[in-house]
Amino acid sequence: MATVEDSAHLPHDAHGKPGGWARWVYATNHKDIGTLYLWFAFAMFISGGVMALAIRAELFMPGLQFWQPELFNQLTTLHGLVMVFGAIMPAFTGLANWMLPLMIGAPDMAFARMNNWSFWLLPPAALLLMLSFWVPGGAAAAGWTLYAPLSTQGGMGMDLTIFAIHILGVSSVMGAINIVVTVLNLRAPGMGLMQMPMFAWASLITAYLIIAVMPVLAGVVTMVLTDRHFGTHFFNAAGGGDPVMYQHIFWFFGHPEVYIMALPAFGIVSQVIPTFARKPLFGYASMVYATASIAILSFMVWAHHMFTTGMPATAQLFFMYATMLIAVPTGVKVFNWVATMWEGSMTFETPMLFAIGFVMLFTIGGLSGVILSVAAVDVQLQDSYYVVAHFHYVLVAGALFSLFAAVYYWFPKMTGKMYSEGLGKLHFWWSLLWFNVTFFPMHFLGLAGMPRRIPDYALQFTDFNAISSVGAMMFGLGQLIFFYNMVRSIRHGKEAPQLPWEGANTLEWKIPTPAPYHSFVEAPELKAGDNGVILSMQGGEHH
Amino acid sequence: MASRTDNRILLRKFLLIALLMFGFAWALVPLYRVICEVTGINQLVKAGDAPEENPVAGVPVTLDFDATVQPGLPWQVVPLVRRVEGRTGEFIRVDYEITNRSDRRVIGQAVPRYLPAAAGPHVQKLDCFCFKEQAFEPGETRRFPVVFVVDKALPSEIGRITLAYSVFSLPGREP
Ligand code: HEM
Ligand SMILES: [Cu+2]
Repeated sequence: MATVEDSAHLPHDAHGKPGGWARWVYATNHKDIGTLYLWFAFAMFISGGVMALAIRAELFMPGLQFWQPELFNQLTTLHGLVMVFGAIMPAFTGLANWMLPLMIGAPDMAFARMNNWSFWLLPPAALLLMLSFWVPGGAAAAGWTLYAPLSTQGGMGMDLTIFAIHILGVSSVMGAINIVVTVLNLRAPGMGLMQMPMFAWASLITAYLIIAVMPVLAGVVTMVLTDRHFGTHFFNAAGGGDPVMYQHIFWFFGHPEVYIMALPAFGIVSQVIPTFARKPLFGYASMVYATASIAILSFMVWAHHMFTTGMPATAQLFFMYATMLIAVPTGVKVFNWVATMWEGSMTFETPMLFAIGFVMLFTIGGLSGVILSVAAVDVQLQDSYYVVAHFHYVLVAGALFSLFAAVYYWFPKMTGKMYSEGLGKLHFWWSLLWFNVTFFPMHFLGLAGMPRRIPDYALQFTDFNAISSVGAMMFGLGQLIFFYNMVRSIRHGKEAPQLPWEGANTLEWKIPTPAPYHSFVEAPELKAGDNGVILSMQGGEHH
Repeated sequence: MASRTDNRILLRKFLLIALLMFGFAWALVPLYRVICEVTGINQLVKAGDAPEENPVAGVPVTLDFDATVQPGLPWQVVPLVRRVEGRTGEFIRVDYEITNRSDRRVIGQAVPRYLPAAAGPHVQKLDCFCFKEQAFEPGETRRFPVVFVVDKALPSEIGRITLAYSVFSLPGREP
């Protein structure tokens, strides 16, 4: 049968849960590790959010009110790093940990002990990032992209950041290998690759991307490190190096990275929308192929971040058209989601609201992306607030909203309780409103020429910045609703029924709620249709 | 079905891929260089446009230096050379000596003038004390360099340029 190393087979773990702190420190159970990941990601989301509010407070009006420019730059840098590597990526890995084995009929993740390592590397890395605010010279201030030559200068905060990135890289590569091996080797009989839920497909392809590009990031920051301390000149023009080289290598990682934060979101909404539209996912096979082609294309577009570095026109044209090409498979996906809803008998519980919000707002972000891909236009908009608006539409309304959808959707399965639907809806409408208030005006600011990553600005930008700052404070406040809802519902929520969503028909809903601590210790025999829909299930044992 | 060894084999394969990708990041450095060389993308200077043999083969131009002080102000401004025979395209440096002859701390700002005025746009100053305000202690004397190039677009009918500075006090700014 399918094998999980060091977990279900170890006698101490085979019956029930170990108690107290040991359960978490020595965790090898995929559900425990998933829970750890999710709480860690939430803590990072709050930390990064506090930095964002500090940034918006400074930008509420022109002039310097709260922070010196040095600290302001540290805040923007750490906000980006913490959100990308501390919040979004671990949250997706946590969800994959929790749900993948349940969705494909595996007893656990393939390497349970490595899984423990993948998680427990995260807190020290986060600690390094946070501590770097208090070292001489402060935290890294070169932007989350850590461009040379800014990153080859600067104080020891940069060294701590580089070290943290190494640790985070090792963690996410190990997590990704675990996902790939689990999906490839541990599927229950009858769950073929082309029957897998989209979330499993998305996690699989994302894991491939992580394995391919996180080492490249580790490599390029290592070059920065050797430039700083060991006398190399990779990025130092005076020594025969080339600072633009840094950007090429970074974005070879960086663009696939943005899809590492987008593909799992695609997977989540591809589960949520069919459930609440009570219709099968439209165009399952095309969804799989679209996801794969997005992943492959994402390796060929990196220089759209570099249109103003003096590339020759032929290179600009190549990267411009290649970037526009990505909009095609992305468009296929948006079409399929809408077609899934078409004539469905829809209900609008919180997960569905977040999923629909995702489709609408992510599409706006995709459109501004296509605008930015036009090299001639991008020369104007590069490094302006327009870019900030673009990537917050795809990352906040995209990745983050999909994560909220996922947490609400699987909350009953994870905890055995129902969350408060009223608070969930309030959380959605509140977030939707203030998200747009925060980020939509940034399009106008960018078009009017306001550069990003500045602590002070010209007077004509005042109004939109004030609006945006108010929006951000309110958006941040709204996340407390989410926190309260989660904590209160875990403690005092109503007992969840076995099948809280009428239209849910993937494997995780065929087992008891809450999911037993050891699920599928014996693999079930499945008959599965598209998108992981279970037609029949025999056997499968839990305890 | 997959066994424990299957998992291990896959684990090793992916660890190897991760290591290879780490190496690939380093390989990108020479790779980009080769690609740029082959395609000529990063060649900022092409074979044809070698630098001129003699970058200063401009036309002769005579430069006079002068300075005036508004009546009643405590400044003394003296160019250390009065005249330079230069060429267009050549770096020229002259020094000015400025003294505060009062017993107060004063802040001054020098403003350049050109004669004929049409020569003004062609005098490209790289360094000049007129770029910013200068503070002087009582009785202090300081020397400042002025570095400039007269560019080659100078109209041919101008053979002689006078560069004159006026120094003003900035009264509101005095401590
Ligand atoms: C149709 C799809 C997309 C297109 C055509 C597109 C295009 C672009 C372009 C051309 C830029 C460079 C703008 C500049 O710096 O001047 C950019 C920046 C960015 N995009 Fe996208 N994008 C797309 C989707 C996404 C997605 C799905 C994400 C993430 C989930 C994303 C995240 C980002 C980020 C983070 C940046 C800014 C990076 C930085 O400079 O810090 N984009 N995008
Ligand atoms: Cu990109």
